[in-house]
Amino acid sequence: MIRDATGRFGYTPSLVVVVSAAAVVALVSVSSGAYPLSVADILRVLAGRDASDPVASMVLLDVRLPRFLLGFLVGAVLSVSGALLQGLFRNPLADPGLIGVSAGASLAAIAVIVLGGTWLGGWLALFGEWALPVAAFLGGSATVLLAWRIAHRAGQSAVATLLLAGIAINAVAGAATGLLTFYATDDELRSLTFWTMGSLGHAGWDELLIGAPFMVLAILVAPWLARPLDAFLLGESVVGHLGYRPDRVKKAAILVVGLGVGAAVAVSGLIGFVGLVVPHLVRQLLGASHRVVLPFSALVGGTLLVAADSLARVVVAPAELPIGLMMALIGGPFFLGLLMRRKVM
Amino acid sequence: MMFRLGPFVLAVLLPALVQADPLRVITADGAITEIVYQLGMEARLVAVDTTSGYPPATQSLPKIGYLRALPFEGVLAMKPDLLITSEQAAPKKNLDRLTRAGVMVETLPSAWSPEAALARIRSVGDLLGEPGRAALLVTALETEIRRVQRSASARERRPKVLFMLAAGDHSVMLAGEGTAASALLEAVNADNAVSGVMGYKPANREAILASQPDAIVIAESTPGQFDIDSWPELARLQAWQAGHRLVADSMLLLGFGPRLPQAMAAVNRVMPSDARVADHDS
Repeated sequence: MIRDATGRFGYTPSLVVVVSAAAVVALVSVSSGAYPLSVADILRVLAGRDASDPVASMVLLDVRLPRFLLGFLVGAVLSVSGALLQGLFRNPLADPGLIGVSAGASLAAIAVIVLGGTWLGGWLALFGEWALPVAAFLGGSATVLLAWRIAHRAGQSAVATLLLAGIAINAVAGAATGLLTFYATDDELRSLTFWTMGSLGHAGWDELLIGAPFMVLAILVAPWLARPLDAFLLGESVVGHLGYRPDRVKKAAILVVGLGVGAAVAVSGLIGFVGLVVPHLVRQLLGASHRVVLPFSALVGGTLLVAADSLARVVVAPAELPIGLMMALIGGPFFLGLLMRRKVM
Repeated sequence: MMFRLGPFVLAVLLPALVQADPLRVITADGAITEIVYQLGMEARLVAVDTTSGYPPATQSLPKIGYLRALPFEGVLAMKPDLLITSEQAAPKKNLDRLTRAGVMVETLPSAWSPEAALARIRSVGDLLGEPGRAALLVTALETEIRRVQRSASARERRPKVLFMLAAGDHSVMLAGEGTAASALLEAVNADNAVSGVMGYKPANREAILASQPDAIVIAESTPGQFDIDSWPELARLQAWQAGHRLVADSMLLLGFGPRLPQAMAAVNRVMPSDARVADHDS
């Protein structure tokens, strides 16, 4: 009934479904966790009144609420970035990891962890507890710019060159990370897992404060690129004929991705998979137009990440599973099912 | 009956209530957990972290995860009065939050010498409101440590020891400087055969042959993990053939907890006597 003639779902019913799912997940995320809170206390805190458990307001407002918001933003920005890159490269395998932005961001963070005591001591002194996120953000942005410069040398930017540059940058960043791991002490080695597995376990209002502005900006700017990206689907030469400047479109998309993913990695470490899978999911259900794919990716990506995080923190309570693990556990089989249902293209 | 018991129960409970000793305790560090058990205070433990695997009774306690990734809600859900952990605990943010939620969070420094290990036992005793029990344990351990150290310092020359860590099926790491392994060797008057390397590094088979140690110590993270058949280089070393070798549990050797005298004695026992050291020199 809600599918149209081509077998796709209508936009308005889909929007209603996705927004309701997001609302349900939001409620579940804020009301569930290892610490038991009564429904009455949750309602009292949300209404701004005193709860019977003195810790209730702290658990809800200082821990679960920022964690939900941060998780939603990270999921949204990673999915939007994935959609942008898949459109730009016309390659279904593209995701924020591809052009090296995630690797660059985590390399910078790992460098600060391992070299903070020696060569990068000044960096620590300058930024204090912000040293890691600031480094991750700068690392991500620098990688994007580098990839861009390499691909842009002939006066024109070749998407294939950018893709190859990304692979090379990933290899170099991976080797540098490996080298730093080799020199890391036992203690440092263990704090590196945050940057390779991803976590929302320390999310608070501070993380939200530095990460959110960049992520919100990236999510809001992305839809402006929808029409030119639709033109990209028809081939790069068509973009110019339709009145867009291909180079500007590419530059804008790359910057948005660098900004968003750099900020996401800075506050939550490396969370893979969501950026690759969510745009595919949306395209399967609603068609390939970026005007639909971009906003829906944001909503679905945010919802999916928060759902995965809610599960990750209750299944092995009182301990927590790494969010990246949970994400792959839920998303992997789901994605495979989607692929098997799809007709051969 | 109840009437007669009433004052008695009150008399027993009252001192505890007045002193407000922490009754629900979580330990997040294998060695600290061992200390709590050695003090006989394990009844107060409501949860431990995943590095706490000894004594085996810890298996029945809820696990709050790894001490370097402590969850806020998970710890709080156990309603602890006190969380005792080491300076490796992370993320710091969650420790701060626990403090704000009314949990007493105590972060003890790492103990990489017999003195520091004993001081840590005293700290745990103070935190649990049982300094007397801690003092008894410290005195007992001190005597054993002195006995091992007397025997160790009787050697004319400090032996060179190759210390390795077996952590996976094929992964064996050499313990370099600045490690608990090096600290344990120092405690028994021995030198690390691997110098100029910081931390634990993947073992290089040629470097093993070149190190020419007087004794070999291998710490396993699970019993029976180390298989000498896959390390022919080690088997060819004179120290290995002469029996100057020890394969033992890594938590026992590297924990610097209440089993430290045991660990020191075990390592000290496999050191060559002076005569053999002299042979080796000629």
